[in-house]
Amino acid sequence: MRIARSIAVTLSLCCVFLLPPAQSQAADDDGEPTIVKDPHYGEVLFYFYQEDYFPAIVRLLASQSQSNLDNHVDDSELLLGGMYLSYGHHLEAARIFERLLANNVNPEIRDRTWFFLAKIWMQRGYLEQSQQALDRIEGELPRNLQREALMLQAQIMIDAGDYPAAIALLQNWQGETEWARYAKFNLGVALVRNGQVDAAEEILADLGEMNPFNDELGSLRDKANLALGYALLQDGRPLAAKPALQRVRLEGPFSNKALLGVGWADAELESYQRALVPWMELRSRDLLDSAVQESMLAIPYALAKLDSISQAADHYLNAIEAYYEESNRLDRTIAHIDSGDMFREFVSADPLGSTGWYWRLEELPDGPEARYLFHLLSTHEFQEGLKNYRDLKYMHRNLDEWQQSVDVYANMLETREQAYAERLPRVEETLARADLDGMVDRKLEFDSLLNDIESSNDWLALATPAEFEMWGEIAGLEATPALSADIPEAAEARDKIALLRGVLQWDLEKQFRDRLWRIRRNLRQTGEALAQTQRARRQIDESMRQQPLEFAAFSERVYSLEPRIEGMKIRIEDQIVEQRAYLRNIAVGELQAQKDRLDIYTVQARFALAAVYDIAATVGEVSE
Amino acid sequence: MIIRKVLSCLMALMLVISASTSAQEAAEAESRDQFRSLDRDVQDLKKEVLDLNRDLFLLEEELLFPANSQVAFFISMDVGEYFKLDSVSLQIDGKEVANYLYTDREVDALLQGGVHRVHMANLKTGDHELIAIFTGEGPHARDYRRGATLSIEKGIGAKYMELEITDRIKKQQPEFVVREWE
Repeated sequence: MRIARSIAVTLSLCCVFLLPPAQSQAADDDGEPTIVKDPHYGEVLFYFYQEDYFPAIVRLLASQSQSNLDNHVDDSELLLGGMYLSYGHHLEAARIFERLLANNVNPEIRDRTWFFLAKIWMQRGYLEQSQQALDRIEGELPRNLQREALMLQAQIMIDAGDYPAAIALLQNWQGETEWARYAKFNLGVALVRNGQVDAAEEILADLGEMNPFNDELGSLRDKANLALGYALLQDGRPLAAKPALQRVRLEGPFSNKALLGVGWADAELESYQRALVPWMELRSRDLLDSAVQESMLAIPYALAKLDSISQAADHYLNAIEAYYEESNRLDRTIAHIDSGDMFREFVSADPLGSTGWYWRLEELPDGPEARYLFHLLSTHEFQEGLKNYRDLKYMHRNLDEWQQSVDVYANMLETREQAYAERLPRVEETLARADLDGMVDRKLEFDSLLNDIESSNDWLALATPAEFEMWGEIAGLEATPALSADIPEAAEARDKIALLRGVLQWDLEKQFRDRLWRIRRNLRQTGEALAQTQRARRQIDESMRQQPLEFAAFSERVYSLEPRIEGMKIRIEDQIVEQRAYLRNIAVGELQAQKDRLDIYTVQARFALAAVYDIAATVGEVSE
Repeated sequence: MIIRKVLSCLMALMLVISASTSAQEAAEAESRDQFRSLDRDVQDLKKEVLDLNRDLFLLEEELLFPANSQVAFFISMDVGEYFKLDSVSLQIDGKEVANYLYTDREVDALLQGGVHRVHMANLKTGDHELIAIFTGEGPHARDYRRGATLSIEKGIGAKYMELEITDRIKKQQPEFVVREWE
């Protein structure tokens, strides 16, 4: 009997990829193993452990409807919920968990499950559902999950704009763990958004000065410094903002914004020469970044302040040219997206081997839009939308394959029906020839005859043909008239014949019981064979009665499935169009926002350039 | 004077870009609502497609392998210390009916407790002979090939056979057990 992981572990596995490695190890080790008592349950696990959730769910649903999982009723329901979750079918998963976990004896599994549901709903933007799932957690989660759950709660509050509640929740966080630091950051952000910049300053500065022991914390430190720097800049405190911004690492996702901010802090302090240093550094970086775009305006502004009017004019012209080129690239990318090619490339670059929650696009397709998509793909909205788009494509392909199979089944069924119709008359003719009832009558006659033989002890009736012939010959000899003569030879012959008759009779009487038993045995076997033949006949009759009904039932199923598949495919196609439009809107919206920003910068650059020319002209007139 | 205006414009622009949160938040909320609406539609479709797949799966099985003649052969592994499975070949009544090559991912799934339905067949009632040949890597990383034979008595109704690979710790050898599920 196969032993698989415990169902608790199985369920944890569904969610385990959401955990950092240290926690997933813990989830892997606990729980009693489950004994596989139904092979179909083991088969579901075979696909589940390969993370092929779609075929695993289909097999589980099929086995449930065939009552093939009677030994795993609860386990299979829990597993189904977990797999729905993994497949990204979180609403159905929640329905199962709500039903099943309400009475589950293991509160730990229940609380963990609600936690993972809360997390998935949060990532899919279902804030209310996420909050409800968190509210359902009754006991204490394992420490790591508890911290994450608190963070999740705070994030929901921040996203809902309830900053005071988030602040109240986060400010009691103790310790120096990684989670505590993330909590501090969120607290700082909540305070800034709540207008409490002074209180946020202390927290974010503390975080910004920490010594990070891994890349994640290094990144968090940069984020804290950047948030603090800009909060202080907006609060009109450039001198205080500068050290925070200068603490951001020069190479990293936040460095461009930090360099820009340092420059603005210097500019606010009227140290234009200093401001040029970080802004010049930005010139060599990717123009895709808004900070780099903005630096192209900031540099000539500082140069103008330093009376380098001609240089300032050159830089403004460069900026206008660069914005124009970038704007054209954006136009081309928007056109590419509008053509639908981008989404086709997304799916064609991916083999659609797996589906669901854990899928992530591993490689961006080549093309002009690729450089713009890094940012898009980092957003939950786009990623989740893309997952749905991909799942829809998978379902469409799945139904395409089924459609071909169903066509084959329809043909197969027709062929079977035809073959059956052709064979039926021959079978009926053969059956009609076989006189089963006559055979039964004859058997009964034999029974009766044998009973008479036994009751009359008619040993001669069971003689073999040779014995019977011999008996006849003896009787014939006995009746010979010559033997009646009163002479010694006749008397001797009579004695010999009497002896022969006596020996034969003795033999026949001796073998009578044995022969009777053998014949009865043969007759019994014949009776059994006859009964079996009668049963087979009844089965054939039943099959002949059932077969047309079965053909009709199969035909109905096959032909009713065809329109179902077709209808479903149409709905999926419609949904694909909608999903693509949604993704297109996000992508184009993002690119259009960049283009709008570039347009504003271009207007600003032209305006500033005119102003610079104006100054140059004024200075020229004065000098003349 | 003009430069000061430019500065104020630029600063204002920066603030507009970095602090235009309320408009951005509204747009985000709208986008989130749109996502959720689409997501719900996709979820509904997923449910319906899964149900349809279940119906199709059952139809396929009932049509191709009617319960009366159906025999299913399953492969499972327990421990797997002394044997790394590569492939399984099945012969029924001297005729090869299945030859399955396992991927590492599938072997892992078997080791974790999964059971693979390697073959489905239609057999007439009566006696049949099954030969299963397992190939892979045995003890000391040597090529390993072993066969197991079993007589199958097929009656009326579906029959499930399990071919289980276990470790015989005493002999430090794999063992291949063929048995019927009740």
